[in-house]
Amino acid sequence: MTRISIDPITRLEGHGKIEIFLDEQGEVANTYFQIPELRGFEQFCVGRQAEEMPVITDRICGVCPEAHHLAATKALDALYAVEPPPAAKLLRELLYMAFFITDHATHFYALGGPDFIVGPDAPPSERNLLGVIRKVGLDIGKEVIACRSRNHQVIKLLGGRGIHPVAGLPGGWSRSINPAERDELKEVARRNLEFARFSLDIFQKVVLDNPGYLELITAETFKHQTYYIGLVDERNRPNFYHGQVRVVGPEGRELLRYHPDQYHEQIAERVEPWSYLKFPYLKAVGWRGLVDGPESGVYTSSPLSRLNVADAMATPEAQAEFERFFETLGSRKVEGRYQPVHLRLATHWARLIEMLYAAERMAELLADPEITSPLVRNPPQAVTGRGVGCVEAPRGLLTHHYESDQRGVLTRVNMIVGTTNNYAPMSMSIKQAAQHFIKAGQVVEEGMLNRIEMAFRLYDPCLSCATHAAVGKMPLTVTIRTASGAPLRTLRRDAA
Amino acid sequence: MIVVGLGNSLLSDDGVGLAVAARLQATLPPDSEVTVIELAAGGLRLMEALVGHQRAIIVDAMVSGTGPPGRVALFNLESPQATRNLFCAHDGDLSTALALGRDLGLQLPDQIEIIGIEAAEVELFSETLSEPVAAAVPAALALLRQRIGLQ
Repeated sequence: MTRISIDPITRLEGHGKIEIFLDEQGEVANTYFQIPELRGFEQFCVGRQAEEMPVITDRICGVCPEAHHLAATKALDALYAVEPPPAAKLLRELLYMAFFITDHATHFYALGGPDFIVGPDAPPSERNLLGVIRKVGLDIGKEVIACRSRNHQVIKLLGGRGIHPVAGLPGGWSRSINPAERDELKEVARRNLEFARFSLDIFQKVVLDNPGYLELITAETFKHQTYYIGLVDERNRPNFYHGQVRVVGPEGRELLRYHPDQYHEQIAERVEPWSYLKFPYLKAVGWRGLVDGPESGVYTSSPLSRLNVADAMATPEAQAEFERFFETLGSRKVEGRYQPVHLRLATHWARLIEMLYAAERMAELLADPEITSPLVRNPPQAVTGRGVGCVEAPRGLLTHHYESDQRGVLTRVNMIVGTTNNYAPMSMSIKQAAQHFIKAGQVVEEGMLNRIEMAFRLYDPCLSCATHAAVGKMPLTVTIRTASGAPLRTLRRDAA
Repeated sequence: MIVVGLGNSLLSDDGVGLAVAARLQATLPPDSEVTVIELAAGGLRLMEALVGHQRAIIVDAMVSGTGPPGRVALFNLESPQATRNLFCAHDGDLSTALALGRDLGLQLPDQIEIIGIEAAEVELFSETLSEPVAAAVPAALALLRQRIGLQ
C-alpha cells in the first residue's frame, strides 16, 4: 500500500500529520489525522476533589477554556445535586455568549477567511489574517480586534480572570453584577450585534456573491450525508449552554433526543487498526467505517450540525438568516422543517449565523430582570457520586463526566471534546479533497495542500493544546511511498 | 515593560515559562514597573497583550531538539528558531499578529525578546517540571532579570 503523509505541524514538533493511504490501484483508500496524544489526564484528575475541576479543565487548552469551565461546573451541579439560582444560569450563559462571539469571529477572520477572502490558491504567505485584513480593509481589522477586546473584557468581568475563568461553582457562580455593569454589558451586546450583522454582510458580498466561491461551497467535493447532533431547547432550537441532545438523520428526521447524562448509552467509540484515534459513532445506527449515508453511524457536531438539528433559531435575526441559509443552499422543507445541508464549506456561514444568535442572546440575557439578582449560588445538598456536564463548544459538543466517592474525591473522569466528535467526518472530508487530486497513483500537486487544509479547517478543529498548526505558517510535507515503503516523491511547503 | 509567561501549567515542561514568570513576579521590587502576565499561546491574544508596552520579554518552553533539556536560550523574533507556544492553532502566529497590529496602528513594543527553555516532556499531564528543566529555572530567571535590568 502506498502511503502519503502530510505533516501540518510546525517544525518544532515531529508528530501530528495527515496520512493518506493509497490502494494497489493508486486510488485513495483511507485518510486520517494523526494528532499528538496527551497522556495521563484521568490519572492526573483521579484522587482530587471534584470541585477543582472547573479550574483544572479550563487549563487543558488555551483555545476554549470557557467551554471546559462551564462543562465542568455543570457536571459539579449534578455531582453535588444542586440547582443553580436563575441569576447564576444567566451569568454563565452570558459569559459563554461573549466567548462564542470572540471565538467564532476569530475563526472566520483568521482561519476561514483566508480560504475565501484571500482565496484558496493564494500563496501561503498571504493566506492568513493579515492577508484578509489587507484585502477587506484596515477598518474591519480594527473592528475584529475591538470585538475580541470587548468580549475578553466581559469574560474577565464575569469569569474573574481574563484567560482562565474561575467563577464557576457547584450550584452557581461566584459573583453577581450590578445595574451599572449590566448597562455596560448591554452596550457590548449592541456592538456585538452590529459586528455580527456586518460580518454576515461581508460573507454575502465576498463569498455568496462570488460565483466561483459559491460553486466551491456547493460542489460535491465537500459533501457528506451524515447524522448531525446538537444541544436544543424544548422547542428544538439550538442552545449552546443547556438542553437535550438531538440527533437528526441525513434525511432530516429526528433519530434520538436524549439527556446529555445518557451519552454513553447513545455514543460508542470505534478503534481502527490503522489509527490510534477513537472515532465516536451512534450506537443506534452502528459503525460501517468512514462512510456517510443513513446506514452509517458517523455523525457531525459543528455549527453546521447545530443548524441541521434545529427546527428554528431562538432569536429573530438569526432565524431570518437560518431561513436564508437553507433556502439559498437548496434545502426544501419536509414535515415543517428544512432538510439538512450537507455541504461542509457552508459551516463557515453557519458559524456566522451562530455569532448573530449569540449576540442577540446576549441582549436577551441582559434584559432579564433576574440578571442583577445578588442570589448567585445555592449550597450543595449531597454528593451523588456522578455528574455529567455538557455544553456546545464552538467546535462541537463537549461532555465532562465525573464520578466520585462520598467525600467528592474523584474516582473516574471521562471527557468527549468537541473536535473528537468530528474525527470521522474530518477524515472523510480530507479523503474527498485528496481524491480530487490523486487518481491512479498520479498526484496533482498544485492546490492539493491548500484544499486539504480547507477540508479540515472548516471543522475549526482544536487538536489539543499541544498542537500548534497555524494558518499560512504551516509547513506541509507530503511523502509518497511505494508499496515497499521507499520514498518515491516528497512535496514540501516550508513555514512562511 | 511586560513579561509574558507562555505555556500550559498542566503539561509538564510546557509550563516552564509560567513557572519562571511566577518566580519573577514573586521577586520583583514593590516599585517595579514591570507587568507580568501568563498566557497559553499566541497569536493574536499574545499580540493584544503586548499593546501599550515599549519592551516585552516572552518566556516559553521549546522543543528544538538542538540541545539538552534545560538549555536556556535568548532569541528575538527574527531568529530562525522559535519556541513552542508562539503559534496558536486558533489565532495564528505572533509575527503575523504583530504585523497586523502595526498595520492597525496599535502601539506595540519596539523590542521583543524571547527566552526559551528546552523541554523534555510536553505531552504528559503533570504539574511537575522534569528534573533538568526544573534545574534550569534559576538560570532562566537570572537571564530574565538581567534582561530587565535587575541584578
